[in-house]
Amino acid sequence: MNESITAIQQAIDGLDLDGIRALVMKCLEEGMSPEAIIQEGISKGLEAVGRKFEEGEYFLADLIMAGEVVKEAMPLLKERMNPGGSGKGAVILATVAGDIHEIGKNIVGMILSANGFEIIDLGVDVPAQKIMATAQATGARFIALSALLTTMVEGIREVVDSSKAAGIREQVKIVIGGACTSEDLCQEMGADAYGETAIDALKIFNSYSAAR
Amino acid sequence: MHAIERVLNTLEGKPVDRVPTFCAMVEDRTFNEVLGKPLIPQELLMTNPVARFVLDRWGPSLSRPVFQAELNRALVKRIRAQVELGFDSVWAILDETFTVLDHTTMVRFNGSVFNIQPDGYGNMTYMYRCPGIRSREDFEAWPYWPDTDDLAHRTYTFFRKVVRDYGHRTCLFGQGPAYGIQESLLWAVGFEKMPIWIRRDKDLVKRYIDLNEEICLKTNMALLDAGVPVIIQTDDFAFKSGPLMNPKLIDELFGPPYRRIIKAVHDRGAKYVLHSCGDNTLLFDTFISWGVDGLHAYENTSNVDIFKEKKIHGDKVTIVGGVGVDYLLTDRSRDEEVVHEVRRLIQELGPGGRFILAPVHSLSSIPARKLEVMVDAVRRYGAYPLSSS
Repeated sequence: MNESITAIQQAIDGLDLDGIRALVMKCLEEGMSPEAIIQEGISKGLEAVGRKFEEGEYFLADLIMAGEVVKEAMPLLKERMNPGGSGKGAVILATVAGDIHEIGKNIVGMILSANGFEIIDLGVDVPAQKIMATAQATGARFIALSALLTTMVEGIREVVDSSKAAGIREQVKIVIGGACTSEDLCQEMGADAYGETAIDALKIFNSYSAAR
Repeated sequence: MHAIERVLNTLEGKPVDRVPTFCAMVEDRTFNEVLGKPLIPQELLMTNPVARFVLDRWGPSLSRPVFQAELNRALVKRIRAQVELGFDSVWAILDETFTVLDHTTMVRFNGSVFNIQPDGYGNMTYMYRCPGIRSREDFEAWPYWPDTDDLAHRTYTFFRKVVRDYGHRTCLFGQGPAYGIQESLLWAVGFEKMPIWIRRDKDLVKRYIDLNEEICLKTNMALLDAGVPVIIQTDDFAFKSGPLMNPKLIDELFGPPYRRIIKAVHDRGAKYVLHSCGDNTLLFDTFISWGVDGLHAYENTSNVDIFKEKKIHGDKVTIVGGVGVDYLLTDRSRDEEVVHEVRRLIQELGPGGRFILAPVHSLSSIPARKLEVMVDAVRRYGAYPLSSS
């Protein structure tokens, strides 16, 4: 493999926030396309980070740092890319109504964005109607809901019910995560999947994207 | 055996007559049920147009004389209610950390911004909104840092009265106006940016930690001077599935200040309990190496296995917690379920001592009645020697 692309993988895997831009520039100067750099360098570097996270070598803060490393690189690549991106799809991100916690949601957004998903972040304390209106207006079919407070989990059911009322339940995938959520809660609320970590969320949405 | 002796012996690993209880609840809704609702609901401060106008216009200058005074009255009420509920130990907090900016916004003195919002039961509560320090310039210009000596004095004055009124009836777990050093940093700069601050702005992170260590040390010493026997400190180091950061990094950054603080507490003959939400499995050895006497919360909704921890660390540290607030202590559960779970926790965690039964967290959705059922079950089934059935 090209040494420069390997260096990008290693920079992401090694959380090298300060070195990534120079490495990306080097690859571009050597004639590699932005798409190839993302696919062979950045995505594979993030895969390595994800493996380390799952194996307990990396922690949440390391995931964030990996996302920041990618954020350093992406402007250099995006300005040279064809419009349309990687086409993995758009994900609507929201913390459910009544809950204003956003750290987990933002980490998921960062990881999904770094892996080629378009992120529509509606923020925190988001009513179900707004999420559905956004899904209908943008055509986004992936929805990621975060909930930390036990008392606010009904917000998940409201999004599921709203999607039914809007007649798009079969078209959208609703994935939940957050401190008070679980596989059982996912089934109870009628959502499609539960992700315990940001890496779980990435795997889930990757599988949905591949199945489109 | 008196409640204070029961709790302190348990924190030291000495024999006691029964499993002690710790309240861990600090919600006005719950305590209004015990003591009766106030004549003027707190929520009026947010919903009444005149009060809103006043807070929006003069919030910062009214913060200390009006808002803080009202909050302190509520804090004393919370302690009284915990004592009335019959807990062996209670969480006594003085939260003199805020300046009110307007009727929806408060800033904490060490760099974070909070929403003031209704708790759904007629009371006010607050919830983290966003970081207040987003740059080196923000840090240098942050205007809310307290005079730590004045803060320590106010802490002493508050707790001297609390100890006088309640210190003979229950074991006070005192928390001064100093939140955990790590979580304060996290709130001040935001979790998404904290790893970058730690990497790129080591000097500022060090200064921030030093400032908060000084606040913790001085206010903790004030608590001890007032006669509080146990210091409890909240510092959430973990999420549902594990630590926020590499445990080695946590120890490197926060181990030195916590070791100094805990040593100072021990030097004065008191005990130290750390509250950390989430799954701290990978951090328990670190916390124990810092010198903690007890650890709270072992959240049942996280991945931590409290029973496994009893086997691994049960002889080195006192486990405080165990009772879930997601279902068991809510209106949705049946009393028999609470009793059943209390008995199970006593059977599994009681042998060998070093277990204080408590809710894992504080939530407005917890009715006082469920706490009474819990306390009563411990009295009935928690006596040593424990029954094998």
